[in-house]
Amino acid sequence: MRVLSALEHTSIAHESWIVKGKVSLFVPCFVDQLLPEVAVDTVKVLRRIGYEVDYPEDQTCCGQPAFNTGYWNEARPCAERFVRVFKHAAVIVCPSGSCVTMVRTFYPELLAKSALREDALAVSSRTYELSEFLVKVAAVTQVGATFPHAVTYHASCHGLRELHLRDEPLQLLRQVNGLKLIEMTRSEECCGFGGTFAAKFADISAAMGTSKAENVAATGAEYVTAIDPSCLLHLQGILGKRNAATRTIHLASILAQEDLPQKSPAQERP
Amino acid sequence: MSTAAQRFLQDAAVKSADLMHREVIRRGMDSYDAAHLKGRARIKDWEAARQKCQEIKREAINHLDRYLLQFEERVVARGGHVFWAANSEEACTYIKNLATRLNVRTVVKSKSMVTEEIHLGAALEKAGIKVWETDFGEFIVQLREEGPYHIVTPAMHLLRGQIAALFQEKLGQKIESDDPAYLMAVARRVLRQAFFSAEMGISGANFLVADAGVIAISTNEGNGRLCTSVPRIHVVVTGIEKVIPRLEDLAVLWPVLATSGTGQGITTYSTLIGGPRQPGEADGPEEFHVVLVDNGRSQLLADAEQREVLHCIRCGACLNICPVFRHVGGHTYGTTYPGPIGSVLTPHLNGIKEFKHLSYASSLCGACTSVCPVKIDLHHHLLQNRRNATEAGVTKPSERLMFRAWRHAMLHPGIYAAGGWLMRKSLRIAYGLGLAGSVLDPMRVWNRYRSPVPLPAESFRARWRRNRAVN
Amino acid sequence: MPSTDKAQIDNPSRDQILQRIRTGLRTAVKVEEPAVAFDPVIFEPVNNPLERFQQECVANLMECALTADSAASARHLAEVLQSLAEGELFVEDDPALRRLVDLAAPGRTIRWSTQGAPAETSQATVTLAQALIAQTGSILVTASCGGRGASVIAPCHIVYAKIVQLVPDLTTALSRASQERLLDHNSFACVISGSSRTADIEKILVQGAHGPRRLVVILQTD
Repeated sequence: MRVLSALEHTSIAHESWIVKGKVSLFVPCFVDQLLPEVAVDTVKVLRRIGYEVDYPEDQTCCGQPAFNTGYWNEARPCAERFVRVFKHAAVIVCPSGSCVTMVRTFYPELLAKSALREDALAVSSRTYELSEFLVKVAAVTQVGATFPHAVTYHASCHGLRELHLRDEPLQLLRQVNGLKLIEMTRSEECCGFGGTFAAKFADISAAMGTSKAENVAATGAEYVTAIDPSCLLHLQGILGKRNAATRTIHLASILAQEDLPQKSPAQERP
Repeated sequence: MSTAAQRFLQDAAVKSADLMHREVIRRGMDSYDAAHLKGRARIKDWEAARQKCQEIKREAINHLDRYLLQFEERVVARGGHVFWAANSEEACTYIKNLATRLNVRTVVKSKSMVTEEIHLGAALEKAGIKVWETDFGEFIVQLREEGPYHIVTPAMHLLRGQIAALFQEKLGQKIESDDPAYLMAVARRVLRQAFFSAEMGISGANFLVADAGVIAISTNEGNGRLCTSVPRIHVVVTGIEKVIPRLEDLAVLWPVLATSGTGQGITTYSTLIGGPRQPGEADGPEEFHVVLVDNGRSQLLADAEQREVLHCIRCGACLNICPVFRHVGGHTYGTTYPGPIGSVLTPHLNGIKEFKHLSYASSLCGACTSVCPVKIDLHHHLLQNRRNATEAGVTKPSERLMFRAWRHAMLHPGIYAAGGWLMRKSLRIAYGLGLAGSVLDPMRVWNRYRSPVPLPAESFRARWRRNRAVN
Repeated sequence: MPSTDKAQIDNPSRDQILQRIRTGLRTAVKVEEPAVAFDPVIFEPVNNPLERFQQECVANLMECALTADSAASARHLAEVLQSLAEGELFVEDDPALRRLVDLAAPGRTIRWSTQGAPAETSQATVTLAQALIAQTGSILVTASCGGRGASVIAPCHIVYAKIVQLVPDLTTALSRASQERLLDHNSFACVISGSSRTADIEKILVQGAHGPRRLVVILQTD
């Protein structure tokens, strides 16, 4: 555990004095366990544009799975713990639209009656999804990435409709050297993951995923990308089952690519 | 005897795999999308229109008693009758008694979702009264002995060939073509006889205009017009929540309803009716009855968090955009109101225990909320329904236990990390032994439709700690 | 008030429902104040009502014929009537229409609105209108325009209107209707924006469902 400097302490008390060049990484629990390279690539990108990255190792989960299933009393202590873990972070960055939505959109309501209410409001106002942070806070769209492939973009629901991120990921993709961006039909239609929905209503979830996979295939793109790793996990599974040519890749992993890649940056298949 | 939830899962499984059904619906929805976009272009400031409609409904619902009484007073002054029905039974009994008293043998009905909700057709048929559904889509599904598939286009799941075959079978006449115009002409001839012989016409109402004391009905075919002009008795069946304060409110509500419902600038017939035929009028019904149905709405009204659900103008836009609806279709829901609004509303009208599953049958994508013309926060209400179900103690005990264990793990990073490592390790071993998808596989639901999730040897946290000295 | 007492006797649920509503509304709903407190322009203002009305009529699959005077109107009416099959006409009983129909179709069988409802077999109906609305290409009719059936029973509905009746938009039409208390002395009104239609089969538009297939507006500009 690092000792915070006096400057950092002061910067937390006055929100406008964000410590220049340092962010705290919020890694979704399932990224930590199943897609660690998304977090690795997020760190790479942030460092490349000049930010120091701190990772509070004590973090576990933001509470979304319980919250979305209606178990708010189980989600609440997890949310409170998250707030305590990130209380002293000046800026929090996370490569997941749905997890950031949980913290920004729902923590105020979930923790409305908590003793940590004020801290929660502060933490939630300083939490950003990666593309949002890059474009709106760091004010960069050119992050020095090279990815000479045809890529199509899936507009994950939380990022789109809760965080209102429509252009930011596209602005970043357009600046990637060699990347050919192909638009897919109904890019804003849900992929069908939906958390526990994927297990409780597996048939519907799979049908929605298949429709999305068909739209992806119709673009002929080599890769499909998004800002939500949960969408990509689901799509990877659907595409894999169909032996589709298109592979999934998180936005962070595209942006982390520099020069020509030695080998395929797509996620490993077990 | 299967529960509503079990039936839903079974029907959803069947429909999810039905590629023909998916194709028919996709075509229908693509058609709607194109029309809707054109309709939106006619409105200069769509967001302002939504805002205005939300404000109108909010004012109406939050002063519901005042506006209902104002409406009632005007209708009664014109010689109409207003009956307040607490529930389905009271509404059906009132209408049945009316029909019996006035020797009604035949009823012509224009589209009304509330009449579906209270099962009025069945109640009248049981009393020996013949009921003709005159909305073309409703006419078709009535012949098929099924409910409407969609609240605006009841027969959108059928192709013209199926409809032609249906008419051939049920109408006792030779059907020479499956051309939609031909089929409409057949229906017109059949139903015209009904319009001109029925003693009673039953309609719904899109709005109840309080200051003018009139009902407003938006239609295209003219069947609603005939039902409310020719028979000597007109009965309106409506929910109590349909009230709006002023006639001028229709200047924005009519175009918004039409745009969201079908993509039109306004429906062909925007009708206002306030009573029976008045002295000096050439024609019109001799009796006019408005049946105001509560059936759980006043209870929903008391829930300040979800009261805005009563703002719904039944346009169908949320059904059209919902990816779940597009993949399972309207009948799968097994309720009067399908789609997002149905999933939100039905637990309130019909009980949370039996219908909570609908609130879970959603990925919470939020598309519904983004299109609702009265800005109901639909997907957040689904989330609230899930919370309400948990608080009411009607969720599965195994699930409650699972989340308690989950909470424990998430509050203790050591347990979380160890648990995660163990899960990945055991799955790698199991899959190495070829057990993926087997009954022993905890991820078998996932693996039924998807290739297995990646199982890295190292979590991010472990990697970070390993590299910490280097970093 | 006697009617309320009678209502209470026949309808005990009425008071119970009102009571439930009042109790329910005791909890106020939290409303966020709108960001800007002004009345935004929702619809594009209609600057040229006549042009707009004509455009909308085309889009609505309605016929709109501009005529210079009543002689021209009578000629147009005659043309329309000749194109129809033999059969009874139903006409709103109004002096202007009596003159017009006399000029246009002297030999035709007429049933006047003062004689009652139109016959099921009417070939066409002829009525006046309360107003025309440019924004949506609509005609506003009331029970005073020959009754309810007049605008829906026959396969062809012909409306005889004057340019002075044209208003720019729905807001104007409805607020005037309110001010003039139109619905106090009419049990029925209808804003009609086209010929009857359905898209219930495969979302394919079919013109002419249960109502008129043809809606003709004879708009006299003098």
